[in-house]
Amino acid sequence: MVIKTISVDSVMLYMGDGISPEILDKVQTTYIVLKHIRGVIDITPSYNSILIRYDINIYDHKSIKKSILKSLNSISTHKTDKIEKRITVPTRYDETVALDLRRIAEINSLTIREVIRLHTEQTYRVYAIGFMVGFAYLATLDKKIITPRLETPRAKVPKGSVAIADNQTAIYPKDSAGGWNIIGYTEFDRFEEFSVGDIVEFVSI
Amino acid sequence: MGFRVLQGGLFSTIQDLGRYGYTDIGITNSGAMDEYAYRWSQKLLNNIEGNALEIMVGLRLEVMIATEIAVCGADLSFKINNISKGIWQTHQIKRGDILSFDKKISGERAYLAVKGGFKIEKRYNSYSTTLKEGLGFRVKRGDILEFESHLSVDKRRVQQRYIPIYPNSLTLRILLSYQYGYFKDEEKDKFFSSSYEITIASDRMGYRLKGEAILPKKGDIISEAIAFGSVQIPKDGQPIVLLKERQTIGGYPKIGTILSIDCFKLSQLPIGSKVIFREIGIEEAEKKMKDFYCEFYTL
Repeated sequence: MVIKTISVDSVMLYMGDGISPEILDKVQTTYIVLKHIRGVIDITPSYNSILIRYDINIYDHKSIKKSILKSLNSISTHKTDKIEKRITVPTRYDETVALDLRRIAEINSLTIREVIRLHTEQTYRVYAIGFMVGFAYLATLDKKIITPRLETPRAKVPKGSVAIADNQTAIYPKDSAGGWNIIGYTEFDRFEEFSVGDIVEFVSI
Repeated sequence: MGFRVLQGGLFSTIQDLGRYGYTDIGITNSGAMDEYAYRWSQKLLNNIEGNALEIMVGLRLEVMIATEIAVCGADLSFKINNISKGIWQTHQIKRGDILSFDKKISGERAYLAVKGGFKIEKRYNSYSTTLKEGLGFRVKRGDILEFESHLSVDKRRVQQRYIPIYPNSLTLRILLSYQYGYFKDEEKDKFFSSSYEITIASDRMGYRLKGEAILPKKGDIISEAIAFGSVQIPKDGQPIVLLKERQTIGGYPKIGTILSIDCFKLSQLPIGSKVIFREIGIEEAEKKMKDFYCEFYTL
């Protein structure tokens, strides 16, 4: 783990490289320990990192690091056996709503049918909740459909858009600006059900 | 009883200092874009846990009950009953008065606070509006904004030396952090030697800039949390300064973070203004922020 100064009142903990269930476990246990320490204003975990915004009247960039290390060294946690939910998302892979479907196919030298098959034939894990409420980061995509983010983010991505970026996929829970490639559309609306660790599958309708 | 909204204006919302402790479920901070002007509006009225209307331009209100208000921030030609009134000060208003903010003279956002604050419900422990999460509302014609009547005999105003003059260009002090290692020296040189223009696609989420493109060695990162003031560089190389209603997590590389007080100043800059970047170290940044907060504790 490394702790880096990010802004005048925040530090980032990087827990490892890449995306894996093991790193996710580390992030989640560390997050639980640090969530309630004094002077932490915001704590935001993601795939392999945790951003901590602290009260600048209590800590400076050096003392916060000491305090974090001390907490992590003095408290041990173990993973409780949380029950992972399985969530199914019926999705329309249709070019009238999937604005980037053709481009995703072209970039990856695949047919549209192959893109749909690759997106639906495996399950994904929820690695983080963020960007906006109910936005679950799902990974990992099949290597064959890994697609970079748009060069310029769209000013508006419609609610229900199923999208991919790099090796992740997600559903936009609300209309929002966003730079992900839209691969499909869903009427699914139970975004509050997602929690980190859950398993999600997309079914073509 | 409170204000009756006669005209909602360009974009008027109720804000406070923001919503904290919920970024782990994806709820952004939100809050007043210009904390300097906002904090003064509260201090003038001795509001402890208050809130204020953040006004861009065009708001008109009818007063339904007498009270004390403070107006700080942008000069939007504030008038009571069509007579120009000073800002960065308190005013007594009475039933039937018409308050107007019809024309932008300087700055972008004015704060109108009422003594004791507007009587709205807190959501996730804050009064701040975030429309994309359905928290709060955009003020529109016909709305009633409730508050309690507080009468006062004294007038308070901010001393001249504390009243900012809003410029048309700004130097943003940036702490290099995050993925600054993804940018080669020549890209960083471009970033620090160019000036960038504020584009029309700028809002409470972030200010999108236009100028010399700077390109990272790698375009995507594993998505991670975004601190206030982060400068994100999407693939077109045009920087975006992420502000109060930023997304909590994102996957474009970031070159660093703008000092919060400079973000507050940025929020008062109109579209078309120019900004340049200057590097700041962490110790100097800490001192500047502590001085900023200190001003509001000790004055």
